[in-house]
Amino acid sequence: MTQSSIIEELINIAGQGNVVTDGGALASYDMDGRSPATAVYPSDTAQVSEIVKYASAESLSVIPAGSGTKLALGRRPEKADIVLSVGRMDRVIEHEAADLIATAECGVLLQDFRSVLEERKQFLPIDPAHTKNGATLGGIIATNDSGPLRLGYGTARELLIGMKVVRPDGNVFKGGSKVVKNVAGYDLPKLYVGSLGTLGIIVEATFRLYPITESSATYLAGFGSLENAHSAVGKLLKSDLVLASLEHMNPGFASGISNRAELEISRNHHALAIRIMNVRKAVEDQLHTISGICKEEEGTGLVVEGERERVLWENIRELPFELSGHDGAVLKAGVLITHVPLVYERLDKLSVSSGVRPYATARAGNGVVMISLNGESGSVRSSIEELRELCERAGGSLVVQSAPGEVKSEIDPWGNMGSAAGLMKRIKSNFDPQNIMSPGRLL
Amino acid sequence: MHSLNKESKINGSVRKEDFANRLSSILGPDGVISSDDELIAYDSDALTGYRIKPVFVVMPRSTAEVSRVMKLCYENDVPYVPRGAGTGLSGGALPVEEGIVISLSRMNRILEVDIPNERVVVEPGVVNLSVTKAVSGYGYYYAPDPSSQIVCTIGGNVAENSGGVHCLKYGVTTNHVLGVEVVLPDGEIVEAGGKAPDMPGYDITGLLVGSEGLLGIVTKITLRIVKKPETVKTLFATFDRVEDAGASVSGITARGVIPAGMEIMDNLCIRSVEEAMSVGYPVDAGSILLVELDGPRAEVEAQMPIVEEVLKENKAQEIKVAKNEKERELFWKGRKSAFPAMGRISSDYYVQDGVIPRSRLAEVLGNINKLSEKYGLRVANVFHAGDGNLHPLVLYDSSREGDSEKAHELAGEILKVCVDSGGSITGEHGVGEDKKKFLSYMFGESDLDTMNLVRCSFDSKGLCNPGKVFPTPRTCVEPGIKPYRENPLQKAGIGEMY
Repeated sequence: MTQSSIIEELINIAGQGNVVTDGGALASYDMDGRSPATAVYPSDTAQVSEIVKYASAESLSVIPAGSGTKLALGRRPEKADIVLSVGRMDRVIEHEAADLIATAECGVLLQDFRSVLEERKQFLPIDPAHTKNGATLGGIIATNDSGPLRLGYGTARELLIGMKVVRPDGNVFKGGSKVVKNVAGYDLPKLYVGSLGTLGIIVEATFRLYPITESSATYLAGFGSLENAHSAVGKLLKSDLVLASLEHMNPGFASGISNRAELEISRNHHALAIRIMNVRKAVEDQLHTISGICKEEEGTGLVVEGERERVLWENIRELPFELSGHDGAVLKAGVLITHVPLVYERLDKLSVSSGVRPYATARAGNGVVMISLNGESGSVRSSIEELRELCERAGGSLVVQSAPGEVKSEIDPWGNMGSAAGLMKRIKSNFDPQNIMSPGRLL
Repeated sequence: MHSLNKESKINGSVRKEDFANRLSSILGPDGVISSDDELIAYDSDALTGYRIKPVFVVMPRSTAEVSRVMKLCYENDVPYVPRGAGTGLSGGALPVEEGIVISLSRMNRILEVDIPNERVVVEPGVVNLSVTKAVSGYGYYYAPDPSSQIVCTIGGNVAENSGGVHCLKYGVTTNHVLGVEVVLPDGEIVEAGGKAPDMPGYDITGLLVGSEGLLGIVTKITLRIVKKPETVKTLFATFDRVEDAGASVSGITARGVIPAGMEIMDNLCIRSVEEAMSVGYPVDAGSILLVELDGPRAEVEAQMPIVEEVLKENKAQEIKVAKNEKERELFWKGRKSAFPAMGRISSDYYVQDGVIPRSRLAEVLGNINKLSEKYGLRVANVFHAGDGNLHPLVLYDSSREGDSEKAHELAGEILKVCVDSGGSITGEHGVGEDKKKFLSYMFGESDLDTMNLVRCSFDSKGLCNPGKVFPTPRTCVEPGIKPYRENPLQKAGIGEMY
């Protein structure tokens, strides 16, 4: 199989203009130094299926992609013959507002999907990073990406109710359904959330939606110490409040937010951003309770609403990746709610002992900490190792979401997958015995 | 699947006595039930139309014991069925011929209550309601609330992905299970997920929830608990036509209100409930819509008038708001006893469990009525209207020749109506034994084949609750997808590979 015959076959399937072979253009699909030999942009499920059948017959590896915003996630693929982007599959198929569901092709950008849903006053409550840069629905599912709204609404796992997938042998199957309650057969959508393109290519997704609330507001408060901020978190979670988001930023991150969102947060303070989405009266009432709780912990703050609120949350989502620059790493720690302070204490220690600059923001009601770690590559690497040991020992995990090549080449981005790793590998090899789909990226 | 070699089962090459001894050596003599009198109690679950007597019932006390029993079965090719409280309505815990039942009822300890992290870790035999009881003193509860919650177990809930009456707002079991310890069919003990979020790798926990006991036996479950809402308000509204009740449901969500629960009962249902327990439902109402709002006081107070407005727009006759907790409980008691109350108006009834898109309710109910007339059997309707989960109750008289067959046929046709409207054959009761022939209404060959790939990854010998869920027997002779080849034989379909 020569490169030119591969290209010829892909052109036969997807059309001349939809196959990219130019080295410069392919560089945008670089995965830790591995660039694909070619990229193809099919226009529908039938074409995806044909391409995968061809790849399967010829044992060519396929890396599924959307806009390519998360190619840094996972290990470097063992092989990358073809990047298959669903970017042109960008139709919203249906929005059944009365049933609070919508179905779309997986190349639809999250921000475009939002605009469509907004016409009927509904939304998909997933707010991951990279939204600005064109995160697609398929990419969000495949990477199980999420944002601060997960406290109030859950993640893709909770919201994806049905899907259509092209399997590694090119067969098309559907999983789940278009109704919010369904227990017929195995829950295959769950298997695909976070599977990183290793089990096939998700081409269509059905989500459950939520009504856009009448009102939304955020209380942004600064605290004199980590202890005060964390103690406020505990009180907020124990209260009767219904929180959409609860973010705990370390001082470095809070300063970054303060600059970008043009909001006054005192320097060197831990900050909480507490969001309420509800009917207006309920938002007002709860803000009152929140400011009371913060005051008990000597926290003072301000209410952020409207456009300023939108900018604030956009920055909270995107900043870890923007701050990391090209020499930094972005990490996601998953720990218990009560262990968030341990992560913050360790970050402080590391910044003293090894000179790394940590910017961190925690989904404090979930135990997810997004960390941007900058510094000399040796220190970044040893800091990651130390943090991972801390998280794993406490029953959690630390995933490297992106890192410079010299760091990633010496560190596994996933860490310990535990006693289920063997079972995961069996699933992978039953679905993809030739190991052609995103080989090595996850398993 | 049942493709197992006949002589490999108990009574064949595996001698019954010998096998009993080996089970006893693992579990002690009180851990193995082998007398016919006692075994009879395990010959069905709550779907009593199917009965098969197991060879033995074993009652392990620990994960290690479960593992050793499963390993023994694996080595001897003996099939088994896991069982919780046996309250399932789809025959999921129906024993298999020449197999054993593994009862998890003695593994009933709550292992950990961690309030600051909002987690509870339990063994599978813990009763659903005991989780809430263990945390209610701290202001928390466990959200999934199937009607059988005073007896059904968390292990069974995990197997069936059980729902309840508050699913629209709070989700179903899968949304509250964060991790499991599972024993795989070869005896291997594996942990997936856990108390911390976002563990890397495939979502094994998500696959196991709702897998109806076909992938392994879950021995430890990490649950999420949620705070009790500050305020709860419950009302019911009566309507002449059930279609108007249905339109109210869509109207309420269209106004941006997600109630904690919305339940509809039709007239037949109302009358039987009133006859059974007089909760105060008006017996001449065409239908009743029960709405429960919960949350911060300000939210509930702001949403209540919106709900009432929508109800009036949709021609509600009477709107009655529960004045106190006692009255609220009474409103719910009527709904929760709708199934047993059917006994008052019919000697036998069959509970169906279809799901439809909310917006198609009027049309689907019309079609169910037509089917009811065609078969000459009454159908009472009670449903979780918020999430479109219908429970049509087909009433029949088993002493009348052919009535029971007719009822089952009618119930099957109702599922077809549900699937044709874009819905599902089961919302919370599972496929089990009872509905496996209907699974292909929803899923094509390639969908079912993909599910089989999952099953074979867990249970290559097909010993774990075999014969359930899937419409046709599937084995794992050659597990795994074959590479695509331009070969006319394989082009004919992937089915031949199995």
